[in-house]
Amino acid sequence: MLGSVVEHYVAVASILFTLGAIGFLVRRNSLVQLMCIELMLNAVNLALVAFNRQHSADMDGQMFAFFIIAVAAAEAAVGLAIVLAFYRLRSSVFSDEADKLKH
Amino acid sequence: MQSLAALFPADDYTLIAFIVLLPLLGAVVNGVFGKRLGREAVTLMGLGVILISFVLSVITFLLLRDAQGEEGEHAARLFWHGWDWINISIQHGGTTKLGVNLSVDALSGTMALVVTGVGFLIHLYSSKYMEDDPGFYRFFAYLNLFIFAMLVLILGDNLPVLFVGWEGVGLCSYLLIGFWFQDEKNAAAGKKAFITNRIGDFGLLCAMGLLVYYTGSLDWRGMDSGSSNLLQPVAIWPLGHHFPFFDHLGSVGTFLNTKVYVSAATLVGLALFLGCAGKSAQLPLYVWLPDAMAGPTPVSALIHAATMVTAGVYLVCRMSAVFVLSPAAMFVVALIGALTAFFAATIAFAQNDIKKVLAYSTVSQLGYMFLGVGVGAFTAGFFHVLTHAFFKACLFLGAGSVIHAMHERIHDTDASQDMRNMGGLRKYMPYTFATFAVSWAAIVGFPGSSGFFSKDEILLKAFTSTIASPTAGGVMNTPEGEVKLFLWPSWGGSVLYALGLLTAVFTAFYMSRLFFGIFFGEFRGWKIVKGFKAHYDDHQHHHEAGPLEGPKPHESPWQMWIPLAVLAVFAAFAGFWNASVLHIELFDHWLEPVFHAASDHVKPIEGAENFMMPFVGLAVAAFVVGVGAAYWVYVLQKGEPARKVAEALPGLHHLVADKWRVDELYDEVVIGSVDSLAEISVAGDKWVVDGIIARFTSAVVAGVGTVLRFFQTGVVHVYSAFMVVGLAWLGWLLITPKAEAKTVSDAAAGSFSVNAAPGLGYSYRWDANGDGQWDTEDFGDKTEVNFKLDVEKSRKVRLEVKNAFGRTNTAEFVLERPRPDKSGGGVIDVEAQPDGTLRGVPRNGQGAQEVKP
Repeated sequence: MLGSVVEHYVAVASILFTLGAIGFLVRRNSLVQLMCIELMLNAVNLALVAFNRQHSADMDGQMFAFFIIAVAAAEAAVGLAIVLAFYRLRSSVFSDEADKLKH
Repeated sequence: MQSLAALFPADDYTLIAFIVLLPLLGAVVNGVFGKRLGREAVTLMGLGVILISFVLSVITFLLLRDAQGEEGEHAARLFWHGWDWINISIQHGGTTKLGVNLSVDALSGTMALVVTGVGFLIHLYSSKYMEDDPGFYRFFAYLNLFIFAMLVLILGDNLPVLFVGWEGVGLCSYLLIGFWFQDEKNAAAGKKAFITNRIGDFGLLCAMGLLVYYTGSLDWRGMDSGSSNLLQPVAIWPLGHHFPFFDHLGSVGTFLNTKVYVSAATLVGLALFLGCAGKSAQLPLYVWLPDAMAGPTPVSALIHAATMVTAGVYLVCRMSAVFVLSPAAMFVVALIGALTAFFAATIAFAQNDIKKVLAYSTVSQLGYMFLGVGVGAFTAGFFHVLTHAFFKACLFLGAGSVIHAMHERIHDTDASQDMRNMGGLRKYMPYTFATFAVSWAAIVGFPGSSGFFSKDEILLKAFTSTIASPTAGGVMNTPEGEVKLFLWPSWGGSVLYALGLLTAVFTAFYMSRLFFGIFFGEFRGWKIVKGFKAHYDDHQHHHEAGPLEGPKPHESPWQMWIPLAVLAVFAAFAGFWNASVLHIELFDHWLEPVFHAASDHVKPIEGAENFMMPFVGLAVAAFVVGVGAAYWVYVLQKGEPARKVAEALPGLHHLVADKWRVDELYDEVVIGSVDSLAEISVAGDKWVVDGIIARFTSAVVAGVGTVLRFFQTGVVHVYSAFMVVGLAWLGWLLITPKAEAKTVSDAAAGSFSVNAAPGLGYSYRWDANGDGQWDTEDFGDKTEVNFKLDVEKSRKVRLEVKNAFGRTNTAEFVLERPRPDKSGGGVIDVEAQPDGTLRGVPRNGQGAQEVKP
């Protein structure tokens, strides 16, 4: 009974992750891309917590989830700072205009 | 004295360390802080440490004299062990320990006195001579460092320590020759000295290797006692015992493959002498010394006349017990010495630069010293080192005093040293004149002066002294039978003496030419004007403005003429320490213990005493002829005959004035060949290293870069797409199971096993019996199958792996048991087993056997 529940959670997490990945690839607005990254991270969190439920002898899964939340917070701060800096440079938040490396 | 002797016992003589290290202290302080200390402090430091060193050397000398007794009955030696340094394995399995040891005996004690004493006088002189030089502190740092290195050289107790000092003085010589390195010429002269000395150092290094090999020791005592081992034969040809190529050349080849033997002592002696020839400027390595005059004049006096250049003579004296074992090496030393003395004297005839004249005279006098030690008259040779240190240092410092005076109005280095610009200076520079005259008298052999006694003794011994054969009958036993050794030739004495006497005449002539040229006649430097005031700007302009005017040449200050006076006193009277003509042989007795072992091998010819008085007469005659001729030519005739000779023989005159063009010859032969070698290397570097290695590598990198640049679009989107695709690929890998297994086979026993690699969530099914059907239809957790096979049978095992996602993967393993090899005893490979035992596995894979680890 429990096993089938975990599979559902994992399925939801996969769908969320795939949505995040597709959004990250197809959207040009870097704010949306950041949100997509958050979506992927949280999909992973969901999967981790679900697995932790199944292997509840230790708390590795939850611990990882907390770490990911912390990293995600830092990532959001850095990412938003980059977006802000980029906006000042180009007056735009579209990622396809971030081609300074080559052009 | 007793209390001092008790305080500093002979086997732990700490005072010697102070003698050596004080100058080093001065060098460090002056070198590091000199710029901020100011002139007075630098002078105080530089002079102070040398003075203390000198006082300590005097104390050491007195202690040595006490220990040695009036007549030199006991061999005295004061020894100090610093620390252990090197252990060298020697023949027959032993090791010899080399320490940083210092020791002083009669020979080095005398030398230390000269180095610190003359060194101090020259330091004092320099404090005024170099007064206005911006590199004042640097000069004193180098000078102190030189004294330190020179003391290490003479007080070292073994060859490697001596070698450290040997290289140290070479370094200081280089630094001081190129002291005014802004002038390219001076820097080049420094390099020339350094590089020429390297050739000699190579010889010294070879000698060290040979000595430690044959005598098993490198300290003085050990080498003396082990020197008898040097009488064994050494095959020096053919290299590596035999050239197969020569076998095809018939009788010529046989001749070329004939073994050539020399005694080890000859090899060592010649190698050592190569080192001495470099340091002491003997043929053919003398070329650096005349150029070394590019350094400041006190340097020429200290390093290139009084001390460093006599290190070679010191080394021959120090190694006398080794040298006397080889008449061949000794004869080479004597002959090279005589030839150098003669050759350098001829060059000195035609030089106008007063320092150059003195430089060639130094080379010539060094030749005398080698002539002395080469015929086994070590005391006479070394005594000439001593007297030469006094009179030549005095001559150089006198020349420096003259140059100092000339600099009043002539600022060009070459012109201020040119004796054609001098003349008549005896009126203006009385002290310089008087001291120069005394040391001139010494070098030309004025009867009673120091140079007279020391040179006379060398010339006498050159004729009467021979080196006895080191073995009975003059033969050496080699594996190829007996070989005759080189024995002292009967004509040797006459040739050496003739060269020496001729050189004495030449010396008297060219030194008188120099002396009269500087101090007699009219002053030719500038027009002397009463009450002359130097214009501020005339450094630049005085060349164009008609005849140069100036004040009277001035005498040098007391810091400069006091050393001159002291040295002149010694130049005049030091000879009486060892005037064998007057039967005063103090110095002989003093050094007797040092040369005791060597003197057994020195045999005077029959009736040697009878030659003494006639030879004194000849020496006086040489002096009279040389000086008289010079006086007639340069004073009475104002140099007219010399000009006529030069005009009559322009070719010869130019050749001599160009120093026989030896430098040009070396340029062509040695430097030319090195240059061609360098050109070949440059071509190799350009085409092989740059062309193939560097260009090819860079082309590969550039090509790969061109391909990779394709992927660097610079668009963030594309990078993120790569990232996602990569992530997807990684995920795909993770959900594909891997069917991998390790097979373990024991062909001898016929047992095999297959172990599947583990993985997360894997389950397995097997086809272990090779029938093409899965053993069980369901996947299980069985990770290993075991089975046995008969000989020459094989089996195909299949494995299928399924993971948590239900994906599967299959792998096949073919296992075969080969036929046992009947021959047996084949090559056995030993392989380590997991349980730690070793197992021998024959190459053909059968008959595994246990090997005890």
